[in-house]
Amino acid sequence: MSEQALLGRVLAAIRIVLLGVTAVLQASMSAAYLFGNRSFYEPRWLAETAFAALALVLVVAAGWILRGRRVPPGVALPAAGVVLIASATATATTPGEWYLHARHWAFGLTGWHLLVLLLERTRPVLAAFAGHAAIGTTQFLLVVPLNRVSLGETAIAIVSVLGFQIAVGLIVQMVMRRLRAMAATVTERDRAATRAALAEQWELDQRFRAAEQFGSVLPLLAGLADGALDPRADDVRHQCALAAARLRLLFAENDDVPDPLVHEVAAAVDIAERRGVAVSFAVSGDVVPVPTAVRRMLAEPVLTALSAARTRARVSLLRTAEEVRLAVIADSAVTTGSPSRSPDVEVTSDTLGDRTRMEARWQVTS
Amino acid sequence: MAGDELTAVVVDDHPAVRAGVAHWLASGDPPIRTIAEGDDVRVAWLDGADADVVILDLHLGGATPALGDLRRLAGGGRRVVVYSMRADDDIALQCLELGALSYLTKAEGAQYLVEAARAAAGGRPYTPPSLAGALAADRSTNRPALSARETEVLVEWFQSESKDFVAHRLGISQNTVNSHLERIRVKYAQIGREAPTKAALVARAIQDGLISVDDL
Repeated sequence: MSEQALLGRVLAAIRIVLLGVTAVLQASMSAAYLFGNRSFYEPRWLAETAFAALALVLVVAAGWILRGRRVPPGVALPAAGVVLIASATATATTPGEWYLHARHWAFGLTGWHLLVLLLERTRPVLAAFAGHAAIGTTQFLLVVPLNRVSLGETAIAIVSVLGFQIAVGLIVQMVMRRLRAMAATVTERDRAATRAALAEQWELDQRFRAAEQFGSVLPLLAGLADGALDPRADDVRHQCALAAARLRLLFAENDDVPDPLVHEVAAAVDIAERRGVAVSFAVSGDVVPVPTAVRRMLAEPVLTALSAARTRARVSLLRTAEEVRLAVIADSAVTTGSPSRSPDVEVTSDTLGDRTRMEARWQVTS
Repeated sequence: MAGDELTAVVVDDHPAVRAGVAHWLASGDPPIRTIAEGDDVRVAWLDGADADVVILDLHLGGATPALGDLRRLAGGGRRVVVYSMRADDDIALQCLELGALSYLTKAEGAQYLVEAARAAAGGRPYTPPSLAGALAADRSTNRPALSARETEVLVEWFQSESKDFVAHRLGISQNTVNSHLERIRVKYAQIGREAPTKAALVARAIQDGLISVDDL
């Protein structure tokens, strides 16, 4: 989603900034100390190799980071190992009295490299920093005089340098977590808004259809009320049955059920049964999602045939992977109206003796 | 098998259903005599051991369908018609797989049950409309390949419940409708678990010229 993409962009930007800061630190401050005092580092080639290794790690990482991606774990973890080894090597070439001073160029720089490589991986980043601190401490203890003052200074220096870097890493992670939570909230809110809009549309649609259906019922009711229509006439009774079934189907459409098609057809069957028609309703095959508009077109022939049924009818619904077939056989010789044609639903009608069969077929398109 | 007269044993946990089924069977032409009935499948092995056909309800008081009993009956060569309240396709197909010669739902009336019992007593399969629907909708991976015409016969039979209508719609005779239905059942008998009833069904179809040995 767009929120996720935004989150990814923020993270990519943070990575690029971090990479830039680290590169600038190495190219300016660390390089200045190393090459400004090159004769003091012993052996010099080793110190310069360590510097080159750290620079190389940045170049490799830049290959992913500048393209907005994170360094893959298969590269990041070995690279972090290289960084730690380079750092320990550089420390070993640094004169003991410079330890933890500015001219101990590698110690502070290493933390930034580790952050560049492992920014979003909490456990690896903490482990790498712990390793860095442990190696550094061991190296200091081997070199600096073991008294309270120097030990205290060492501890303060390590904690202040690495603490700051860890804090940067943790803050970035916290910000990302917050952003993620925010994005999830926004997505959820959007979804709710979409659902609300859909429900509103649905209600409008239902109102419209209800008005339409009631509109067709009103003349019938008016005709019955003022005596223009004779309730004993077969035709009038058929019209009433059809109108009742249509309304019943409309109500059923509103229900939230796992199998809407069966639910709606069962509603139509129910109306026919109330008229005294013995209806058998058979369903075979698993539920296939059928769009509402298609369900209406499938149900229409059923309504027509069922409302014309006199005493017996069979409704059958067959669902295969390819198609949905809804058929009615009723004991009514008259075919009421011609089968409606639509591009999606094919309706056929057939009469044998006093039985009429109507079938609506829909090819499962998806 | 006592002479020409066909006999049945009815296993159902409702006495009214047993009485009703026995009555339906007795009023058919020719009648089928119920020699034993009970609410436990044991009656089919004891008093009704000689009956030509077993009418078996799948739900005998317990929560699970009596598929184990069906398997043992079919494995013993008994001709079973399952008569069940359940209308779902899966259980119907499962019963065929286990060797039942027919599966009827209790929503289906006397006509189909009597025909199924008579067919089963003679070792023939019978496919009532609901079972035809289950076969037409079968999406299982090991289902047999049916020809387009066979599928159409199944669908029409499921929809119309009357063979004259199927024959009229497809422009074929009722005998052809029947032989299509029987061929379909032979194809089903050839897949899955082996049972003496299924083997007999295939053998009979070859004997009747319904299928040839090459089709197997």
